[in-house]
Amino acid sequence: MSPLIALVHVRREFDKGQIVAVDDVSLEVGRGESVAITGPSGSGKSTILNLMCGLDMPTGGEVQFDGKRIDGRVDWARVRARRMGFVFQNFCLIPNLTAKENVEVALLGQISGVRARAERANALLAGLGLAGRTHLHPPNLSGGERQRVAIARALANRPDVIVADEPTGSLDRKSSRAIMDILVGLQRDAGTALVVVTHDPEVAAICGRKIELVDGRIAGTYGPQAGTPDAGRAVPS
Amino acid sequence: MNELTLPLRNLFSQPLRTSLTTLGIAVAVGGFIALSGLTHGVQNSFASGMQEPGGDLVVSTRASFNLFSSSLPESVGTEIAAVKGVTAVSGVLLNVVQADEASNIVVSGWPIDSSLWKAVHLVQGRLPKDASEAGAVLGQSIAEGMHKKLGDTITLADQPYSVVGIATFSSALNQNIALVPLPGLQTLLGRDGTVTLFEVTLQRPLDPARDAAVKAELARAVPKYDVSDTDEFASNIRIFRLLQAIGSTVSLVVLAMAVLAIANTLLMAVNERTFEIGILAAIGWRPARILRLILAEGIVMSIVGGLLGLGLGIVTMDLVSHAEVAAGLMESYLSTTIVVQALVAAVLAGPLGALYPAWRATRLVPAEALRRN
Repeated sequence: MSPLIALVHVRREFDKGQIVAVDDVSLEVGRGESVAITGPSGSGKSTILNLMCGLDMPTGGEVQFDGKRIDGRVDWARVRARRMGFVFQNFCLIPNLTAKENVEVALLGQISGVRARAERANALLAGLGLAGRTHLHPPNLSGGERQRVAIARALANRPDVIVADEPTGSLDRKSSRAIMDILVGLQRDAGTALVVVTHDPEVAAICGRKIELVDGRIAGTYGPQAGTPDAGRAVPS
Repeated sequence: MNELTLPLRNLFSQPLRTSLTTLGIAVAVGGFIALSGLTHGVQNSFASGMQEPGGDLVVSTRASFNLFSSSLPESVGTEIAAVKGVTAVSGVLLNVVQADEASNIVVSGWPIDSSLWKAVHLVQGRLPKDASEAGAVLGQSIAEGMHKKLGDTITLADQPYSVVGIATFSSALNQNIALVPLPGLQTLLGRDGTVTLFEVTLQRPLDPARDAAVKAELARAVPKYDVSDTDEFASNIRIFRLLQAIGSTVSLVVLAMAVLAIANTLLMAVNERTFEIGILAAIGWRPARILRLILAEGIVMSIVGGLLGLGLGIVTMDLVSHAEVAAGLMESYLSTTIVVQALVAAVLAGPLGALYPAWRATRLVPAEALRRN
């Protein structure tokens, strides 16, 4: 079976080749697997993540999803809409929309019917403990609540993989633990693959496999063989 | 949440900018409606003004630049009257003169025995008794506007006339006209022996086939002059065509400015909302959907602006047509064609103005857009 995501000799240059953010990186993420991408600042973690989901395009090599090379903006948009969910450090919520609408916005074009979209958004938010907060706009929510709204949005289209870029980076310790509990729980219980970019060793330790980057190259891989589903680990107390 | 929720929220999040752009569209559409309406209104006012006293055909100088520049010898009336099917002919001398050194007024001179006088519905007073009397019948609107009563004196081009009658008409032109005996006006204007046009009354009941034959016969009888029905006459006057051309040009320029205003507003919005567009791209919105989002914002502004402009245009037209400077020559004229043209132009302005900003939005690389938080 082909891996869910595969990067094949991927390179990403900026400023006409003066800066090489990612250099000849090959890696795979299997179905149901949890992978942490770690490394110091400027090591290329976020660039790898962006390339992995078509938010940025490689200057060399190729990115495959479910065994197929994906190149075009439209094809990547389709993959992201139907099969990927995103969680970002800075939440990436639209301030003009309520919590519920921020989830619904991911469902436009995916689920037809205003009521069906509203029901799905409400159910997701309720499942993440935000039942009474659906009408609030992001500035009126705490950091932890905002990240839970972002997780609800990421789950809206029942993705195969959740991609999280420093998901706990803006949160206090208690909220960080709660968010990681949710993400690992999803990976363990629903079989959703999880790719987390983090510089936090505690967060990385929760994942089944850890890939360490240094200067845009893979410096080491720790944990089970690539593509092996894992059961996730308990969030350390 | 539906497809319109996000574009509407975005527009409401910048109320001042959205209002100013919408107002710009409204002014453009209002200007188009007012200009087109007033141009057609002047033409319509003349056509109905000519028709109202009972004239079926008009004989005038060929391709007159304006109504008042037509000039024919009075003697042509005899040739017109000799055509079979013509029951009455009346020379008419028309001009705009200064009244009481304060405002301009359309003055029309009719022969004292003209059949046109029979169609004058007097609300007060009488018609002039003879050709030498310096008596004027005023349209009701101009009489009220100038606060003239029976027996008052009105000075027309430095000649005092006594207000002998006040009459009501259905056309704006005639409601604001001063009717006087022809000979006195000819002398006053230095146009002895000439008239502006002839109003020709045809045999009753009117019969389209017979009337067309009479018209053709008239054209043969007075080949140097133009024979037209009253609507045709108004539309053949070159100044009306010129006014329409000016109106269309100004309208196009104003509408182009509205398109630019929309483009400017949405370009600013796209620049400010780069991060938000990056989020939408990241969660899988296809470029076409992002394009539709920005286009929808342009279309919403143009539809609201178009509807506001419709109201603004009607109010402007009404104000201008009642202004003293209009001298009763203008009347409000709103046709389905003008409204449809204005609204179509407004609705097109939205997507036209939004197209480039929307295209720019679809070209954003999501990763770069997300960095601009």
